[in-house]
Amino acid sequence: MRAPVPREEDFRSGLRSPIVTSRVGLWLGICFGLAFVTGLISHYAQQPHQPVPFPTSPSWGYRVTQGLHVAAGTAAVPLLLVKLWTVFPKLFARPPRRAAELVRHGAERASVAVLVSAAVFQLATGLANTAQWYPWHFHFRATHYAIGWVAIGALLVHVAVKLPLIRAALGSDVESTALDRPGAADIAGVLSRRGLLQTTWGAAALATAATVGISVPWLRRVSVLGVRSGGGPQGVPINTSAAAAGVVPTATSAAYRLTVRAGKRSASFSLRDLRAMPQKTASLPIACVEGWSAGATWSGVPVRDLLARVGGRTGVDVRVTSLQASGPYRVTTLPGNFADDPRTLVALDLGGEPLSIDHGFPCRLIAPDRPGVLQTKWLGSLEVAS
Amino acid sequence: MTARTTRVATLLTGLAVTAYGVLLLAERGWRNLEAALTWLVGGVLLHDVVLAPATVVLGWAALRVARPERVRPWAVALVLLGPLTLLALPVLGRFGARPDNPTLLDRPYWFGWIVVVALVAAGILIAGRARRQHEPPSRSTDPEPVPEEGGARGPRVGRR
Repeated sequence: MRAPVPREEDFRSGLRSPIVTSRVGLWLGICFGLAFVTGLISHYAQQPHQPVPFPTSPSWGYRVTQGLHVAAGTAAVPLLLVKLWTVFPKLFARPPRRAAELVRHGAERASVAVLVSAAVFQLATGLANTAQWYPWHFHFRATHYAIGWVAIGALLVHVAVKLPLIRAALGSDVESTALDRPGAADIAGVLSRRGLLQTTWGAAALATAATVGISVPWLRRVSVLGVRSGGGPQGVPINTSAAAAGVVPTATSAAYRLTVRAGKRSASFSLRDLRAMPQKTASLPIACVEGWSAGATWSGVPVRDLLARVGGRTGVDVRVTSLQASGPYRVTTLPGNFADDPRTLVALDLGGEPLSIDHGFPCRLIAPDRPGVLQTKWLGSLEVAS
Repeated sequence: MTARTTRVATLLTGLAVTAYGVLLLAERGWRNLEAALTWLVGGVLLHDVVLAPATVVLGWAALRVARPERVRPWAVALVLLGPLTLLALPVLGRFGARPDNPTLLDRPYWFGWIVVVALVAAGILIAGRARRQHEPPSRSTDPEPVPEEGGARGPRVGRR
């Protein structure tokens, strides 16, 4: 009788070969690299204090980077699963006898464990977050960011360790068996290596097509598994409703005033006052950190015109406060370059109609190239230091 | 040796980047780390102890009862639909749905999933038929004509 735990040699399929692993791994690495870089961009865009100001142009920049972030993570799911399938026998490799080799072996195994753990964590938590499902107690944004660094670091370590093998495998013909595990035989039939690779690319394409419509409008109808159809009040989806934010009484009150303050000078604007000011229209996307985005036409008063009314300096950071009583984004910073951009509006209208309550009635902030969570709804005040 | 330098530089960069991530994680405090560890360890276990062995058993069982050519369409279906189903779990379960926000998770996800499964199945059938027409029948040792690929052996793959 043999123990129920298999040995590395028990896995006979020639599909579980470095030839396949390296090719799938290359694309997986590209997806993780893309997700990491776009993740850094998103993280930086949300920093209240930026040594180098985040640019306001192109207005669709954040829409593209965050759409890519989620798309790359989604496409990585089939790639990761197939890649892990190809190396699964390694899990049962017997450790070497000699102490020096054993240490090396152990270190490598540990680095792979960290990599797999971080990779699975990033994809699972990222996907749950796109669907606004938070079945955990850690702080999502901070933890997803930290583990992103762990994942990319462990990936670099893994690439460094495997570099000679990766080079040899990528340089070999797909059908070559020179690099295979001892004991791996070509069990003819089920799939060829080319067949498995093509199916894997197909799986990544299918996963992307089924979800990417949340950020690519012309694919909305194809993306049957997208977290949003793209519809909503005034043709734009919402993330937080007025009811959830608890702002309905204050936002709809006749006593509503937008307070604009520069140092000791301040002014209050009723909705009527705001409508009486020169209006400007801008076509700007609303692009959420969860990956979805929608283009829209907004009208209202440029933020810099309002600040000029109280003699506020241009190009300085603006403290933006929502009517919300609580929440992590109740008070945010609008960097000086955003406040100064003529497209940055205190919007009153969306698509030619007054904002619906869920879109931020009586007025909301809308700025180009800015994460959706920072496009403050139900504006209460704008403040600059004198 | 430039190749060796590249390798060492990549290794050291990787270690430094990993350490920075661990530091960021540690900064959030023990409670946060504890909650994250559950998911960090749980994810690997779920793959290594449940998902991967299940795939191995599935493949082994399929090859016990059918010839490799007959398993092929099921393997293709598993690669295409298995990961897709896993990544669609948050929307299929609609766990994040909230009554006050009808714009979130607002599609008929199970219907969409069934449509994708049907399209994949149709694609596999058509590809299988085209392949059989191209290949000379001499390769098959089976004397009886091969029926529609798949047919009776459905439930095993459908389990995922």
